Amino acid sequence: MFVFRLDSGSGVPPYLQLVHQVRQALLLGFLQPGDRLPLIREVVESLAINPNTVAKAYRQLENEALVTGRPGQGTFINQTPTATVSPATYTSLRRGLQAWLDRAYAAGLDEQAINALFTSIHREAKVEDVA
Amino acid sequence: MIWLTWRQHRAEAIAATAVLLVLSAILVIVGLAMHATFDQNIASCFDGSAVDRDVCSTNLQAFQKTFGSATTALILLNAVPLAVGALLGAPLLAHELETGTLQLAWTQAVPRMRWLAVKVVSLMTLIVVLTGAFAALITWFRQPLDTLYGTYDAGAFDVEAIVPAAYALFAFTAGAAAGALLRRSISAITVSLLAYVAVRVTVESGLRPRYRAPLTLVENIAAGSHGIAIGTGNRSDWTLDEGFADAGGRHLASTDINTFDDAARDAGVSLTTYMHDHGIQRWVSYHPASRFWEFQFIEAGIFLTLAAVLLAVVVWRVKRRAL
Amino acid sequence: MTALDADSALRTDGLGKRFRQTWALRDCTLTIPVGRVAALVGPNGAGKTTLLRLLVGLLAPTRGSVEVLGQSPTTNTSQALSRVGFLAQEHPLYRRFTVADLLRFGQACNLRFDRDLAQRRLSALGIPLDRKAGALSGGQQAQVSLALAVAKRPDLLVLDEPLASLDPVARREFLQSLMGAVADDGVTVVFSSHVIGELERVCDHIVVLNHGRIVLSGDIEMLLAEHRMLLGPRTTNDLDRSPNVIEAIHADRHTTVLVRDGAAPAPGWQPQPVSLEELVLGYLRRPAHHGTGSTTRESGAEA
Repeated sequence: MFVFRLDSGSGVPPYLQLVHQVRQALLLGFLQPGDRLPLIREVVESLAINPNTVAKAYRQLENEALVTGRPGQGTFINQTPTATVSPATYTSLRRGLQAWLDRAYAAGLDEQAINALFTSIHREAKVEDVA
Repeated sequence: MIWLTWRQHRAEAIAATAVLLVLSAILVIVGLAMHATFDQNIASCFDGSAVDRDVCSTNLQAFQKTFGSATTALILLNAVPLAVGALLGAPLLAHELETGTLQLAWTQAVPRMRWLAVKVVSLMTLIVVLTGAFAALITWFRQPLDTLYGTYDAGAFDVEAIVPAAYALFAFTAGAAAGALLRRSISAITVSLLAYVAVRVTVESGLRPRYRAPLTLVENIAAGSHGIAIGTGNRSDWTLDEGFADAGGRHLASTDINTFDDAARDAGVSLTTYMHDHGIQRWVSYHPASRFWEFQFIEAGIFLTLAAVLLAVVVWRVKRRAL
Repeated sequence: MTALDADSALRTDGLGKRFRQTWALRDCTLTIPVGRVAALVGPNGAGKTTLLRLLVGLLAPTRGSVEVLGQSPTTNTSQALSRVGFLAQEHPLYRRFTVADLLRFGQACNLRFDRDLAQRRLSALGIPLDRKAGALSGGQQAQVSLALAVAKRPDLLVLDEPLASLDPVARREFLQSLMGAVADDGVTVVFSSHVIGELERVCDHIVVLNHGRIVLSGDIEMLLAEHRMLLGPRTTNDLDRSPNVIEAIHADRHTTVLVRDGAAPAPGWQPQPVSLEELVLGYLRRPAHHGTGSTTRESGAEA
């Protein structure tokens, strides 16, 4: 049975955290096609979160064609795994990021500075998405 | 709801019943002995079948020596209606206000008035049953004493027949009203104690003698008699006051009696002859024994009316939405 | 607004409550839709308990109106009372009663009461049925109180500071039970808290109370989307007067501004998302003269 986590202090809305965890699990192979996600009630009881939050996360995953809800039975990982990222794209992104990191370290940024820079750009991008 | 009322007040109800049972046991034991002694030695002195007045007198003294303390102990039983009433009444609202459980009680599905009505009616019924039965036992206990001293004594009227139940209902509603207004059980018990004592004393000394206009007995003084009679001749009557009056009916002060004493000695006659010759009369203001039940009903009525008023205060407090 | 009426679990309109000479609540107007888990937050003395007591009929309004599930909470009928469950502050219980007695009390005093379910729940939590309530731990008492309120199958659950005085484990267990009840019955929940930290995972609606007035209320997700923290160079040109500025904090060289629905004061200001705690604190710190009219904007009229 898949187990969710929730980080209250992360600033990421709870339902998105659940969605991310499922996406990540799929990428890493911890969730396989045909697996059943925990029932809403089970997630609610273990994490003490609002059932609507879980329902929303599952709906989002369904919209992204990652899962399918079967009434009375549960929510299941789709048989045709929609690989969000092809291995080739994945590898090229890794290489690009590695190169950027090398440049950042060479410019004298330390790990914290790099993280701060990345987070601020990332947030800006997200906010512009919403706005 | 009835189960709830019982379960909430079960400890106090059982304690009250236990105490009354212990007291009742004592009353039964002493009472049986007292009845037996009275029937054996004293009864004959009153129904006219006795022969020897001196034996009667000795037996009476012995009886009073043995059982005299019982009469004084009975006065203490005035506390019983207070205890039973206040201990059940004071915590009724106060305890639930103190602990916050009133918020729990009033947010179930029982409307407030029904909640209050069931509680009040059940507890009042229990109180009437307990104090009524106890008063009946005391009435039985006091039969010999009533014959000897009448039913108007402090250790008699207050603890016999129907008034104890009325006192207890008054104490109950006083406790409940005090608890509703003061919101603390201890304060409520204190206030009901003070109210009980104050009202009881006021009614007993100020009102009870006036429930009806007293009768007056006027008598001549027999010349040459040994002593001056007192009272009405019926020991069960309640003598409020007595004294002397001159031939014109004017009440005399006790200082006047002293002058008669001197004057009689000067004249060389006995006091009674002197008084007889001068037309001095004896008067007694009293309530006859036959008024006992009437007075019981009047006094019970007073306390039940007070209880009703206090109950209205409690109802008002419950209806008013405030915590 | 009419569609909302049919779907609202509770509505208040200009609600006010006065005790002797002090107004504990004033001009409170809010709507909470059915099925929500709503948090009522504010500092101590803000009027949270008063508002909750008005919702369950333990108090009557001095001014304004309150409607719960379409009825006045002062409707003193069994039917009306059975639809709302209340858990008072400090979770009062009859201390001399055993847990079993308390369940029997619940059954005796309610129209419907799922005693078996409550019993199973409490047993699963390891709470012995034959122990007196006074001998239970704080967390256990809270769970018993919750079980009593939930077992009557209400449509609305109102809880006054249920988490105060509970240790972290007890808090988590309580919320697990509460959320389980929401998942099972779809009950609407309103609870007050003076701690904002853990609310976001549990609540989807928030009402912020300060000095007896509502300073913010609405759907949490929409409120967070409508507000932004802007970071920029220090600016003091009457920022506080702008209606969209909730709060401006000035440091030596920079200013942080909490804005609602507004554009940045000038280009180059860095927008950042706002956390729920920052949002609530920003509104709580707002001086009272900003008035209630512009701030008690209902947000979150979700279909």
